[in-house]
Amino acid sequence: MNAVLRIENLSVSLPRGRRNVTILDALNLEVKSGEMLALVGESGSGKTIAALSVMRLLPPGAKLAGHVWLGDTDLTTLDEAGMRQVRGRDAGMVFQNPLAALNPSRTVSAQIEEAYRVHHGGSAKAARARALELLGEVGIPDPATRLDDYPHQFSGGMRQRVMIAMALACSPKLLIADEPTTGLDPLVAKQIMALIGRLRAEHKMGVLFVTHDLSVVEEHADAIHVLYAGRSVEWGAARNFFAHPRHPYSEALLGSVARLGQARLQNIPGNLPEPETRPPGCRFAPRCDYRRPACELGYPPPDRDGGTEAACLFPLPVNARPDIFAPATKSAIAFPPQLEIADLSVRYAAGGGWLSPAKPFIALRDITLSLGAGECLGVVGESGSGKSTLGRAVLQMIRYQGSILLDGQDFSKLSRAQKQVERRRIQVVFQDPRESLNPRIRIRDIIAEPIRLSDAPRETPIGQQVAELLMRVGLNPEIGDRLPGGVSGGQAQRIAIARALAARPEIIVLDEPTSSLDVSTQAMLLNLLKDLAVETGLSYILISHDFAVVSYMADRIAVLNAGQVVEVNDAAAIIANPQSDYTKALVAAAPQLRSINHQYPPVPQDGLTGTTIL
Amino acid sequence: MSDQLTMTAAPGAPAARLGRMFTWASERGTLITGLTLSGFILFIGFVGPFIYPVDPFAIHPNHALEAPSLAFPFGTDELGRDELALLLSGGLATLIVSLPAAVLAFVVGVAYGLASGLGPAWLDRLLMRLLDAVLALPSLIILLFFASLVTLNNTSLILLLGFISWPSLARLVRNETMAQKGRDFVLATEQLGAGRFYIARVHLLRVMAPILVVNGTFMIGDAIFALSALSFLGLGVQPPQVSWGSLLETGLDIIALNPWWMILPPGIVVFAALLAASLTGQGLLARWGNRR
Repeated sequence: MNAVLRIENLSVSLPRGRRNVTILDALNLEVKSGEMLALVGESGSGKTIAALSVMRLLPPGAKLAGHVWLGDTDLTTLDEAGMRQVRGRDAGMVFQNPLAALNPSRTVSAQIEEAYRVHHGGSAKAARARALELLGEVGIPDPATRLDDYPHQFSGGMRQRVMIAMALACSPKLLIADEPTTGLDPLVAKQIMALIGRLRAEHKMGVLFVTHDLSVVEEHADAIHVLYAGRSVEWGAARNFFAHPRHPYSEALLGSVARLGQARLQNIPGNLPEPETRPPGCRFAPRCDYRRPACELGYPPPDRDGGTEAACLFPLPVNARPDIFAPATKSAIAFPPQLEIADLSVRYAAGGGWLSPAKPFIALRDITLSLGAGECLGVVGESGSGKSTLGRAVLQMIRYQGSILLDGQDFSKLSRAQKQVERRRIQVVFQDPRESLNPRIRIRDIIAEPIRLSDAPRETPIGQQVAELLMRVGLNPEIGDRLPGGVSGGQAQRIAIARALAARPEIIVLDEPTSSLDVSTQAMLLNLLKDLAVETGLSYILISHDFAVVSYMADRIAVLNAGQVVEVNDAAAIIANPQSDYTKALVAAAPQLRSINHQYPPVPQDGLTGTTIL
Repeated sequence: MSDQLTMTAAPGAPAARLGRMFTWASERGTLITGLTLSGFILFIGFVGPFIYPVDPFAIHPNHALEAPSLAFPFGTDELGRDELALLLSGGLATLIVSLPAAVLAFVVGVAYGLASGLGPAWLDRLLMRLLDAVLALPSLIILLFFASLVTLNNTSLILLLGFISWPSLARLVRNETMAQKGRDFVLATEQLGAGRFYIARVHLLRVMAPILVVNGTFMIGDAIFALSALSFLGLGVQPPQVSWGSLLETGLDIIALNPWWMILPPGIVVFAALLAASLTGQGLLARWGNRR
C-alpha cells in the first residue's frame, strides 16, 4: 500500500511573547491508504499542532520546516491559494467540538453543499443530492427530512456525524480527525468511531487520528505514534505497541490509564516540561524511572529491535510485563451507614413565562441510595442522566422532594441556619478546577477560607494548617503565594481537594473530578483521592461518565439513566455481571485495554446475590 | 533529523512588529495620558488655590474685562475679578461636589446591583423594573426637576448628583452578579456555610473589581459633566461661589464682547476632566477587559 500522507522532519515553532518557540520537533510519520494512524499524546505534546500543520491551519507567526507529502504533492511548497485547493478536496478534517465548527445560522445541508461546491462546482441540485447521500452515509436517520435542519437541532453525536459528512463531501484520500469523540458520551463515542472505521474501509481512506485516549486507539487504530513534549517517543504497529510497549513513557502512560478492575494506577512523577525549558537529552529523562546519565546527553536515536521503534537508549525488553497491570482484588467490606437517600426527586420548571405555565422537567425520580462511612459510591451515567443533579441534591444546593439523612438526621427538617452549618459536613470537588477557585484570591487564602469560616477551635495556626493541607495533597507549600492562574490544571484540582479537606468533611462529592485532566494527571489524582480516603476514613460520592474511573475508585456503583437508578451493586460484581442492558452497554463501552488486561477481576461470591435491578 | 534546523527568533515581518509596538504604545498610552490628565485636574482643583493665593472675589472695577496680562494672567471678568483665581476656586468647588457624588453613585449602584442579583427573585424583578422606570426618564430632566425643588448647597448637590447616575452601574453589577453567582467557586463557598454578604464581599466584589474600577472612573467624568451642565444652567453651585460650569456661563452671557479668556479656560478644563476620566477608564479596560 502506498502512503497517503508522509510527514518528513516536520518542525513547527509558534510565537510566544516576543520569540518563537519550537513546539514540534522532527516528526516523521506515514499514513497508508485505508489505514488509521493514531497520533497520541498528552496536552502540550504537539499532537494537535502536527495535525493542523498538515492543513497549514496554524496561528499567524508560526514557522514550519520539513516536508508534508500528500500523495505526490509536497504541501510545504504550496502557497495559500494552493492549500485552499487541498483543504477539503484532498484531505478532510473533523474537529473536536462540532458545535463550534458548524455555523449555527445555516442549515446542515447548506454547509455540506458548500463544502462540495467549493471544489466541484456544479449545480445546486447536484450538491443537494450529494448532501443527502452523505447524510445517509454517516448514519443520520431519515436524512431527507433533516437536510434543512440547523446544527442546534442535532444531538452532539449527530452533529459530529454532520461534520464527518462535510469532511467526506469531496471524497478525500485523507481524513484528519482531531479528538473527534472527546466530549461525547461513551456510547455515542463508540458509534462515531465505528462510523469512521467503516468509512475508511469503504473509501480506502487514510485516517490521521489525534487523540489522548489509548483505549480507543487500541480498539480502532492500525498504527500508533506517541509524542511527548514535541518529540516522537515510540511508533509502530498498534498491536505490537499494546502488547509490548518499549519506551518507558509509553509504559507509564499505559499504566496510568484507568480501566476496569485495576489495582493501582501508575504515577508519573513531575510535570511536562514547558517548550522553553525542554531538557537537551531525552525529554522524558527527568521523569523516567530507568534514567541513566547517558539519557541526558542527546536525543536518543530510534531503537528498532522490537515490534515498535522507540526513541530510547535503554528500551524495555520485549517480554517485560510490569506488575502494575495486575488486576484488583477488592474485598466486600460492610460499611456502617452514614448517608441515606430516600425517594429523592428533583423537578425543574422549564420554559414558562409571564402567561404560559411552566412545564416541570423531572431530573431525578424516586432515587433511593445509601452511602456507608468510609465507602466510595460511584454514580455512573451519560450526560442528562441526572448524576450531577443527584450530587447537588446531596450537597443541599438545590431543592428536592424526598429525604436525605446524614447520620440519621433529616436535612429537610432542619432550619435554614442549622442547614447552613450541617452542609459543611459534605464538601464538593468540581470538574473544572479553574472554575472552582476564585481567580483573584491567593491559593493560601483559598485553602484558609474554610478554616476561617469554621467555628471550631484552632489548635494550630492557620498558616501551618494550610501548609499541612498543601503537603497532604502533594504540593509544595510555597505554591500558596500564587494565584490560581499560575498553576497547572492538575495542581489546581489538588488545591480544590485541599480546600474541601480544610472544612473537615465526612463526605466529599466528586463531580467528574478528573475528566478535564490528562491521563497521567488523572492517575495521580485518583491515587491521591484513594490514599486520602484510607488515611482519613472519608466517604466519597464519585460522579462520572467514565466507567473505568468509577470502577477504579468505587466500592459500590449506581448506574443512572434518565433520572432513575438502573442498577446498584458492588463494583466488581456490576462489571463482571451487569444485569440491565443499559449497564451492559456502558460496561462494554468503557476503556479496557484488553491486550494488557485480559481478564475481569475476580468476583466475590456474595456479590452476585446483592444485585438489585430497579 | 532536523536538529540542524534553525528557528530564527523574529516573529513576523517588520510591519507586523511595528503594528504590535503601536498597539502596545496605544494601550499603555491611553492609560498614561489618562492618569497624567487626571493628576493635572486634581492638581488644579486642590493645589492650585494655594500656589496662586489671589482672592477670586476681590473686585477691581477699573480692570473689568481685561485680556490676559502680567497682573492678571488669565484676564478679568466683567467685575474685574481675577479669572485665574476664579478658575482655580471653581475647580475646587467642582471637584468637592462631583467626586463625592461619584462615590455615592458608585456605592448606591453596587449595593443596588448586588441586592438585585443576590436577593430573592421577586426583589430582583421589583428592583429591575424600578431601574427601568428611572432609566426611562432623561437624567438631565430629573436633575433639573429636583434641583429646582431643593435649596442648593454642596450637600444637596452631592446627594442630587449621586442619586442620579447610579442606574447603569446597578444594572451592570446585577448582571455580573447573576453571571458569577453560579460559578463553582461560589457554590463551593456556599457549601462552607458562608452567607450572602460574605460571598458578595469576599468573592463577587473581588472578581468584579476590574469592571468596578473602570466604571467608577467613568462615573467621575459623568459627575463632573452633570455638575458643569447644571451650573451652566444656573442650578448648580450657587453664587457667589463659582464653578467651571458657571464661569463658562458668565463668559457666554457677554459673548458679544468676545471675552475669549473667560470662555476658553473653563471650557478646556471641563473637556480635559472628561477626557481624563474617559482615557483612564479605557486604559484600564484595555488592560483588564479581556481577563476574567
